[in-house]
Amino acid sequence: MPSARNSASALGLALTWALTAPAFAEPPAGDSAGAAPAQWLERMNRALTTRNYDGIFSHWHGGRVEMLRIIHRVQDGTVSERLASLDGSGREFVRTGASLACYLPDKRTVLVEQRPPEQSLVGFPTVNDQTADFYEIRDMGKSRLNRRDTHVISVAPRDEYRYGYRLWIDESTAMPLKTELCDTHGRVIEQIVFASLTLPARIPDSAFKPEVATTGFQWLRDDAAPQPSSTALAWTAMRLPPGFRMTVRSAQVLPGSPGPVDHLVFTDGFASVSVFVERATGAASPQPPQQAAVGSSSAFSTVIDGHKITAVGEVPPATVQFIATQVKAQEASAPHP
Amino acid sequence: MNEELDSQLSAMFDDELPSAECELLARRLSRDEQLKARWGRYAVMGAVIRAERGVRLNAPLAGRISAVLLAEPALIGRSSAPLRVGGMRWWQPLAATGLAAGVAAVSVLWLRSQSALPGSTPLSAQLAPAPRALPVAAVVPAAINGGSNISYVLPRAPSSAPLVVPSTELANYVVAHSMFSSPVARRNLLSAFMTSEGGTPGAEEAPQDALSAK
Repeated sequence: MPSARNSASALGLALTWALTAPAFAEPPAGDSAGAAPAQWLERMNRALTTRNYDGIFSHWHGGRVEMLRIIHRVQDGTVSERLASLDGSGREFVRTGASLACYLPDKRTVLVEQRPPEQSLVGFPTVNDQTADFYEIRDMGKSRLNRRDTHVISVAPRDEYRYGYRLWIDESTAMPLKTELCDTHGRVIEQIVFASLTLPARIPDSAFKPEVATTGFQWLRDDAAPQPSSTALAWTAMRLPPGFRMTVRSAQVLPGSPGPVDHLVFTDGFASVSVFVERATGAASPQPPQQAAVGSSSAFSTVIDGHKITAVGEVPPATVQFIATQVKAQEASAPHP
Repeated sequence: MNEELDSQLSAMFDDELPSAECELLARRLSRDEQLKARWGRYAVMGAVIRAERGVRLNAPLAGRISAVLLAEPALIGRSSAPLRVGGMRWWQPLAATGLAAGVAAVSVLWLRSQSALPGSTPLSAQLAPAPRALPVAAVVPAAINGGSNISYVLPRAPSSAPLVVPSTELANYVVAHSMFSSPVARRNLLSAFMTSEGGTPGAEEAPQDALSAK
């Protein structure tokens, strides 16, 4: 007899699909069957970012399996998304355009953040020669995944600074029906498998209203307008793991944060790491570096020059630590008040 | 009563339920919402166990149940709709998983272990812990790391296991970072955040505190 104890190890799932309508087929780039692995990744990226979809999937990590639901809609150029834990914390993440809300019933807190319109979701980077230096991208061929024809693409890291992926991409819709996050040895450390997935032509606004009852919750908002910089210093990483480069430097206000935070983004083309810089509080009693994990993603925080430096990214712990400890202040060319 | 149902469901999943009982139970599944919920839980747990064992579900059993379900008029109507617009229920926890489209849906989604691919990792290997230790360190100047023949050594990994605690502050960082992740990485990250262990309600530290450490 199945037991909850046994359920904490691995995952297989029953799937039911409603993906077959021809109108929802992703237009292939040329001959889809013979498309290069990079083209499959681009099709998948386009599907994930431009389609309407509503799916339930399992998330496996560290011996735990939980079910989540995701609803994604693109309507009149505005992206709405809702992600909710169905059987765990009850947390929900709701994005409507530039507004992000994170409902944390276990903390009786709601975080609300406004993103600048231009800082919308980034696309899946185009694979180029430089990317190939750090990942081996291979076509693993076709595979049937619960009665759907899928194409399997492997993105394997060439070193231990980054993770890899195995992606089961639906041949018709280009949606990734199964995703495995792998370490450099190919071992699966996180897995997502859709149990059901539909591609509705329309999704009502009501689908993006959270179910969480927020009575008595603490609401933390980034009410203050973003400022150009949290300090008069320009922060940068003196050294980086191979392949990483800084692509974004911005200032923002995070919900509940007492002041603006510098936000730097580093990417190697697949993985990305954010570094947040803010003035350290309680300087009289400096805290030792701290680390945390969110699934397979890592976070590392330390204090440098009176500022708290926190790196977060979907990379191994060593990588966020590496980057965080390499962040240094330089004199800004145009100091901000 | 519940024990009996549990026993029947378990036997069904183990392909040990007599055919006649199996069909009766399947018919009941099509009408009984509570039973559907139980089924959903078994669906997930059973799948997990079978994945562990590397066992493929018995096809004839799946076929029998599928036939019963497909024969239910009430189910055919629902299951034949390829795309459902609106009317999404947001919701019924796990039960919805196997079931929203699950039992009620057409083809009896049937549980099975994930198929192996050429070059894919056996399940036993998948369950192995990720390596923690990395060799010792050195760095590559950022200015040159676009080169293809770079020699470098990896940094030493943190010696202790990472903590799994999303404080409000970490939540802020995760959400802010997610906007700059690739779509797949972003979904992984946010899913992990949604399902990670939470703290005690009301015991949240001040937002400006350092990374959670419980």
